Amino acid sequence: MTTQLPIALLGGIGEFLTSAGHNQPVLNALLLMLAIVVPLVVALALAISGALSERAVKVCGALGFLVPGLISLWLAAVYISAFPFGGYAFEMSADLGLLERFGIQLHLGLNGLALPFYIMAGLVGMAAGFYAIQSGVERLRLYLILLLVMQGGLMGVFSSIDVLFFYFFHEFALIPTFIMIALWGRKGRKAVAIEVTIYLTFGAMITLAGLIALYLFSGAEQFNMIAMREAIVEAPYQGTLFGLLLIGFGVLVSLFPFHTWAPRAYATAPAPAAMLHAGVLKKFGLYGLIQLAYPLLPQGAADWAPLLLWLALGNLLIIGFVTMSQRDLKLMLGNASVMHMGYAFLGLYAYSTVGIGAAIMMLFAHGLSVALLFLLADVVEKRGGTSDFKELGGMGLRAPVLMGLFTAAMLASIGLPGFANFWGELGIFVALFASDTPWVLYLSLIGIIISAVYGLRAVASVFFGEAKGEFKGGDITPAEKAPALLLLISLFVIGLWPKVVSDPVNESVNRSFKDAVPTVTASTDEPTLSE
Amino acid sequence: MDLGTVLSVILLAPLVAAGLIWILARQRAALAMTLSLGAAATILCLSLWLFFAGWDGSAFEISTEWLTLGSLTLDVGFLLNDLSALMLFIVAFVGFWIHLFSVGYMNDDKARGRFFGGLSIFMFSMLGIVLANNLFMMFIFWELVGFSSYMLIGHYLDTDEAAQASKKAFIVNRVGDFGFLIGIIITYWTFGTVNFNELREVVGTQPQLVTTLMGLLLFCGVLGKSAQMPLHVWLPDAMAGPTPISALIHAATMVAAGVYFLGRSFFLFTEEALHIVAWVGVVTAVSAALWAFAQRDIKKILAYSTLSQLGYMVAGFGLGSLYGLHHGDAHNALYYGIGASMFHLTTHAFFKALLFLGSGSVIHACHHEQDIFKMGGLWKKMPLTTLTFAAGVIAIAGVPFIAAGFFSKDAILYVAMKSSQPAFYLLTGTALLTALYMGRLFFIAFLGKPNSASAEHAHESPWTIVLPLLVLAVFSIGGGYMIMYPVTLQEVMGHWVPHPHGKDHTTMIIISAVASIIGLVLARIIYGAGAATDKVEKTLPPVFAISRSRFYFDEIYGYYVKKVQDRLADVVAFLDTLFISGVLVRGSAAVAGLLGVTARRLHTGSVSTYVWWFFAGLVLFGAYAGGFFDGIIQ
Repeated sequence: MTTQLPIALLGGIGEFLTSAGHNQPVLNALLLMLAIVVPLVVALALAISGALSERAVKVCGALGFLVPGLISLWLAAVYISAFPFGGYAFEMSADLGLLERFGIQLHLGLNGLALPFYIMAGLVGMAAGFYAIQSGVERLRLYLILLLVMQGGLMGVFSSIDVLFFYFFHEFALIPTFIMIALWGRKGRKAVAIEVTIYLTFGAMITLAGLIALYLFSGAEQFNMIAMREAIVEAPYQGTLFGLLLIGFGVLVSLFPFHTWAPRAYATAPAPAAMLHAGVLKKFGLYGLIQLAYPLLPQGAADWAPLLLWLALGNLLIIGFVTMSQRDLKLMLGNASVMHMGYAFLGLYAYSTVGIGAAIMMLFAHGLSVALLFLLADVVEKRGGTSDFKELGGMGLRAPVLMGLFTAAMLASIGLPGFANFWGELGIFVALFASDTPWVLYLSLIGIIISAVYGLRAVASVFFGEAKGEFKGGDITPAEKAPALLLLISLFVIGLWPKVVSDPVNESVNRSFKDAVPTVTASTDEPTLSE
Repeated sequence: MDLGTVLSVILLAPLVAAGLIWILARQRAALAMTLSLGAAATILCLSLWLFFAGWDGSAFEISTEWLTLGSLTLDVGFLLNDLSALMLFIVAFVGFWIHLFSVGYMNDDKARGRFFGGLSIFMFSMLGIVLANNLFMMFIFWELVGFSSYMLIGHYLDTDEAAQASKKAFIVNRVGDFGFLIGIIITYWTFGTVNFNELREVVGTQPQLVTTLMGLLLFCGVLGKSAQMPLHVWLPDAMAGPTPISALIHAATMVAAGVYFLGRSFFLFTEEALHIVAWVGVVTAVSAALWAFAQRDIKKILAYSTLSQLGYMVAGFGLGSLYGLHHGDAHNALYYGIGASMFHLTTHAFFKALLFLGSGSVIHACHHEQDIFKMGGLWKKMPLTTLTFAAGVIAIAGVPFIAAGFFSKDAILYVAMKSSQPAFYLLTGTALLTALYMGRLFFIAFLGKPNSASAEHAHESPWTIVLPLLVLAVFSIGGGYMIMYPVTLQEVMGHWVPHPHGKDHTTMIIISAVASIIGLVLARIIYGAGAATDKVEKTLPPVFAISRSRFYFDEIYGYYVKKVQDRLADVVAFLDTLFISGVLVRGSAAVAGLLGVTARRLHTGSVSTYVWWFFAGLVLFGAYAGGFFDGIIQ
């Protein structure tokens, strides 16, 4: 009896959403467009208006982040309530005249694969935006303009079906990162900004070459994901195309050995930029691989799999050790985020519905948790004046709430059950044993020990023990706590009810990879594992 | 009320309490204590209702799908059968009394909200392990229990000791979980399922699928959680946490979860695996007993004692299962291993919780003095505590008939005698050692005269502390007799425990009597009552040194972390910076720069140079057009 009431309530809400959502397809498609447009318009408004009070700037900024966040949650609810469904929803397209000749349109929509990334972009955007608004930096207006442009770009990246606009929105979101590092970063920012700009642009160029080549060789009529899925690329070119895409996307996702830009970039960048970049933008590469490269280039994927295996293990183990040696909190978090990309790549390597589905779950959770960690690390830095473990210590008694939140965030990111990250990591581990090389499971599980070591060491250094060093300001303020709680509660909710995200992902992955996934035939005693 | 709902309430009540504490009662100690104690009471009442009225004893399972990705399906469900009912009883019963004890013990603590929230999260996680119906779900709660332990060991967070101990506990457990998870995943792909009942069925029809490796990998989890060698090092350090935590988590319930898991998954162990399991248990039991002699801290002595008793339980499982395999006449013979280990787990939960709570009463009364050589004479100041502690010592020493520990150790020694003579001698010797070091503790701390001012000013503790001691003392003495338990629980305790018959019966009684009584008497003789110094340390330094060395495990691990792991991490980081960041990235930037510098040299600004280059280019172009380079450029 007691369990029936909540179920009835949820069922009622679900029915309302289903009817509302599906009776208003046009509205929803428009909302998708608005999620991109609103932050950009607000940014423009902030840029061109004359003198504005601090208050007005903050309110406008809040609006610019709140609207896409709420839209993303609404659309997610509508999509999930239409389960089982894994195809594209909320489609809208706009002809842009000139580009039509190349098969390019502004074509937006969401499918089960894009949905988790889209929700994540909305949530992290809200958190980053609210944190930025209360952070009290100089030139807040320019700061918020850049972040809003990033946000608009991020919403566009994951809702774009057209591939050129997918790339375009990514660049849109990337450029402000460089500017923010250069203007508001920690010391050494100029050099880091230049290095990151050149490195990531290099990666983006290779990606663009790969995408265009994929379009040309696939013989699709339009340069968008749906049309290209139906086309098949001829065998001899698959290897080269996949390689271009892997390297290009790999640079953008900090795949080993193209990872060295990431830790310094995140450590030097101001927290909201780090949150949006490490949390959301970095996933662009993996999302692109899952939506485009893997479904279209199965042979290419198989060719590159052995190399990908070693590179992913490099991320996991080599960067894992690098992370353990870090003595600066933000550099450690930057390296940790690179290490976790190793898990995602291993999930792709496993190349099964379990592996790829779990990789998506893991990336969703990782986006939320790494954004949360960068936010809290920034609070720690503000209070203690430094990020260096040697100078920090004993903050637990002076800032107990901050300690609680930070420890929860850290435990989430090292894969404790109860938070969303656990499901993704578990799925990846399960998938790896069924891959061509089961022994990779033993090596990748070392990752859970490595992450426990650096994670708990960080918590112990910063919060346990006797109070050390200076401490400015009190415990975490409500204004800082609100975005942190938003992320933490999301992690917790999905940690308890993973089906909310995993069901659409599962539908979609089963649909996209039906033809491309190799059938793993085990020995006669074992059940066959075909997806 | 249907069973599924009752079990859900049992599982979720502490979680709800923890949530409410986090939201409402972080600073309000009284509210936090009420919520936590209320949840513990709810669990106990509902469990007792189950055993006396609501449950008929037949196996009950209910489950729902929680996550599906491709072919992987994870379920969440409950499995209530003889084994889980017994464990539920232990966790609920001992847990409640420890909650009550904590109310009195932690009365001057400043962070009671955090403490009681953590206690409730622990109850939730532990009940999850008890009720889980499949390996993945058990693993989830296994990790959560590790988190609760981390949080509670680190309760006194301004001390470095707590910081290091909590970290060590979590990481060492993770090392065990590494093997555990590999074992679970291999099991999943071999059998296609992780549900306990389904696994049992498949193993029944295709026993050849079970491999020794699978069992040993699953045993890795037990190594970590139940602190078997070589992953035992975290348990003594865990004494940095508050005493109620040491009692509940690190004595009675969490560390016993490994043994419980062995009972749940016993059919996945081959004979070779059982041999290894048994010997790991024996070695742990003997070594820990040897190490207890050099300890001065009352909690550390009890910690090593726990390690030793856990070794007994694991050895009991291994040896009992082997005995059952070879003497499979009774239809319950398969369960002898489970019976022997679970029986000892039950009695140990009672007497070890009693001993820890008793030590807590003493520590509280002596104003946080923990060195036994600074106590003494407590029998006059704290008679009830002394009496109950004595009951605990008698129980753990295994004095025949008046100690629950006698019956359970009896069963283990019996299967050892029948399965492996060397193991039998070692375990019997350990029984003697157990009586000896526990006698040492009792006589030095409680008898004689006070050795310090804090012991002088000790007085009996309040009723919230003494009542749990009395209840647990009753069960420590009477826990070997079936009438103490509800009928529905007597299947495991009664029929699954291998009992010696006839001549063997008499032999076992004599052996236990000799070991326990001689051990206690020797302790009194060697150490004397209320001593202020350790006689063995003075008279037999080499023996004492061996005991205190604890075979250098902590030192070896410490060396590994500092000199091997950290150095390796620094080297890898250095190479990463040097090669990848330096040579490759900066190098390519340098190359680009070099090209730029070279190209710039061409721009000399002098017109005549430009004319020169123009003509040179013209000549080269003409040569190419005239076919001069055809041999070279194809």
